Amino acid sequence: MTHKDGGSSSLGTFGVKSGLAQMLKGGVIMDVVNVEQSDPHMIKAIVDAVTIPVMAKVRIGHFVEAQILQVIGIDYIDESEVLTPADEEHHINKHAFKVPFVCGARNLGEALRRISEGAAFIRTKGEAGTGNVVEAVRHQRSVMSEIRKASVMSEEELYAYAKDIQAPFHLLKETARLKRLPVVNFAAGGIATPADAALMMQLGCDGVFVGSGIFHSGDPATRAKAIVQAVTHFNNPKILAEVSENIGDAMVGLTITDNMKGGRLAARGW
Amino acid sequence: MQSGSEPTNHVVIALQGAFAEHQVMLKKLSLKQKLTVVLVRSEEDLSKCDALILPGGESTTIALLARLAGLLEPLREFTKKKPVWGTCAGAILLAQSVENTKKGGQEVLGGISISIARNGWGSQVESFEAALEVEGLRESDRPFHGVFIRAPVVLSLDPKPLDPPIHVVARLSIGLLPKSQTLVPEDEDDTDPRDARTIVALRQGRHLLTTFHPELTADHRIHEYFVMECVLGTPV
Repeated sequence: MTHKDGGSSSLGTFGVKSGLAQMLKGGVIMDVVNVEQSDPHMIKAIVDAVTIPVMAKVRIGHFVEAQILQVIGIDYIDESEVLTPADEEHHINKHAFKVPFVCGARNLGEALRRISEGAAFIRTKGEAGTGNVVEAVRHQRSVMSEIRKASVMSEEELYAYAKDIQAPFHLLKETARLKRLPVVNFAAGGIATPADAALMMQLGCDGVFVGSGIFHSGDPATRAKAIVQAVTHFNNPKILAEVSENIGDAMVGLTITDNMKGGRLAARGW
Repeated sequence: MQSGSEPTNHVVIALQGAFAEHQVMLKKLSLKQKLTVVLVRSEEDLSKCDALILPGGESTTIALLARLAGLLEPLREFTKKKPVWGTCAGAILLAQSVENTKKGGQEVLGGISISIARNGWGSQVESFEAALEVEGLRESDRPFHGVFIRAPVVLSLDPKPLDPPIHVVARLSIGLLPKSQTLVPEDEDDTDPRDARTIVALRQGRHLLTTFHPELTADHRIHEYFVMECVLGTPV
């Protein structure tokens, strides 16, 4: 954009989109679970009420929902497997938007496919709504182990590995060089305790998402505050012990099986 | 001021936000003096430090974590004695007063006598990048690439008689100011180029403030400026 007095600026660049995620690092994103929040009027009321960045979910592939959220001034969009997908083959072309997107991933190939579509931020899928951290751990461990593998490969091996994990070669090469994902990577899906949050941070995540893990617990406000502190002091077991005291009952964790109501959410996404 | 042989323990506060990026930039500097980077999460960490960077992040979250870690008062004391640089959210924390806060307000350290508005441009879709002329940098005729993310806007300079003078280091052209905030008139001849709201980098005494994010670029000239000018007191 060029202005009358000669000053010029560029809006919605990948730099400012991935940069906002960098500002969220070491933090906790709280997923407020409530059906009425899909109404744009409700979302606008939330944007007006808080100064912190506001993220909202759209269905996988539903680019019109994303257009609507962009125009009402949402700060981040989660193209989320938690909602019923609108498209069973395609994800949203996220490069076409000024608003940044976060997407879930179970492994390195999936993460790099989302980044190639324009995601400026990746999270583990985990298994949302279960209060059980096992799937988030599995996904983060896969991503990190695949990055470690790629980081010692020769260029020829990287070409073959890119084909194997269905990832764009240039992004795989960049990841191997950086020894981490080229965008910020959070944990999500089943984090329920301060120790869960610190576990994900020690496994290499940059921050965490929490939803039902706090809102379905005995004392959500106290638990939320404890998890925020656990993410900052994730390497200090003494502080973790202190913040884990007297925070009420944790959400009861669910066993993750294919027979769960709604099935496995993490399997959605292509 | 440091004596030549003594190592400078330079510091980044690591409660929340983009502290790792600052750490990377500081490690890239080639300096005669030894520089160690400490990530500060407790009063003990802070006591090792000779200077501090308050990173970008979410300013109310950083202030909350500082309070819970018992760091708020030690940080205020530190700010009275030693050089501090605040970027974006850190700039908000370093200001004397903040506008645009919601319920509960915003705790600040008050190292620089200005008033600042958080999130001055609006939501994330208004975040932008722009080339800046920054005074006092090495190769200062080469523009610095400013990355502004939900950035704050300086509203007014309010130095008290005994405060060190405030020195403007970089301005944004007035046409880039957020329309909703500034009420910039359509006829731009009437606007004041010295409008405080165009200031995006400034210095008061040994403190530095930038509303943009030098740590998100590959250009370490502002980090060099802070270490050389503000911390060591030797021109770049």
